[in-house]
Amino acid sequence: MKPDPIPAGEAARALQEVRHRRDQVVGTKVVPDWFWATLGVLLVAFIGSIESEIPWLVATGSVVYAVGLAALIFALLRRGGPQIRNNLIGARGGLAITGLTLGLVAVGLGVAFGVHALGVPLPGTVGAAAVALAMVIGGPLLVRYLRRVMSSRPVGGLR
Amino acid sequence: MTAPRFDELIHAPTRLSIVSLLGATEWAEFRYVRDSVGLSDSALSKQLTTLEEAGYVQIRKAFVGKRAQTTVRLTPAGRAAFAGHVAALQEIVARAGVDTRLVP
Repeated sequence: MKPDPIPAGEAARALQEVRHRRDQVVGTKVVPDWFWATLGVLLVAFIGSIESEIPWLVATGSVVYAVGLAALIFALLRRGGPQIRNNLIGARGGLAITGLTLGLVAVGLGVAFGVHALGVPLPGTVGAAAVALAMVIGGPLLVRYLRRVMSSRPVGGLR
Repeated sequence: MTAPRFDELIHAPTRLSIVSLLGATEWAEFRYVRDSVGLSDSALSKQLTTLEEAGYVQIRKAFVGKRAQTTVRLTPAGRAAFAGHVAALQEIVARAGVDTRLVP
């Protein structure tokens, strides 16, 4: 039998280093908490401007939304850092992302139709505010869950 | 299942840190790798050149706005070599019955 190229203790320490670096990447704040709040504010402002039906406000709201969204994405890109490997998220992570997305749609539609039925003015804006609140709460929770999922994956896998 | 293959090039401590970091990413910015591993620009460039010459990493330069951005990624060959190396390490550890959680 061929002898091992390195002692087992060294191999174990190397594996720990591999795991430590993987966890370092996973722990990087790729999506900061302020992202969710900023996105929420933009969304509420946009829907509110549309619902106002005041032409200049609709136009201003649309421009502010488009420019704000572009600036938000640009700010994220400027932060630099890593693009975490897609396969680390896996099926559980994918389901969690889908779950949050569907949950946000359900909250938005549910609240908007609910307040509309009650005769509350600007139901779309109220629905958007509910979505924004859900994003501020759910976004960071999703990120934390994804980190746990990614840290539990085996290291060094090809897929 | 990846075939175990001990890789001397990857196993060097600094390169193991760099490749392990890149192994968890699709790509990473040069400065992120530099700051995470705690290297100077020149030391990281030297290690990346070695890995690039082996066909293990790809280095790209682009602009985000007016700022130059250098990104690094593992190539498919680099990813396969890293996976083989990790499998080899796991095999050595398993044969010896060492619990990696207990290693200081």
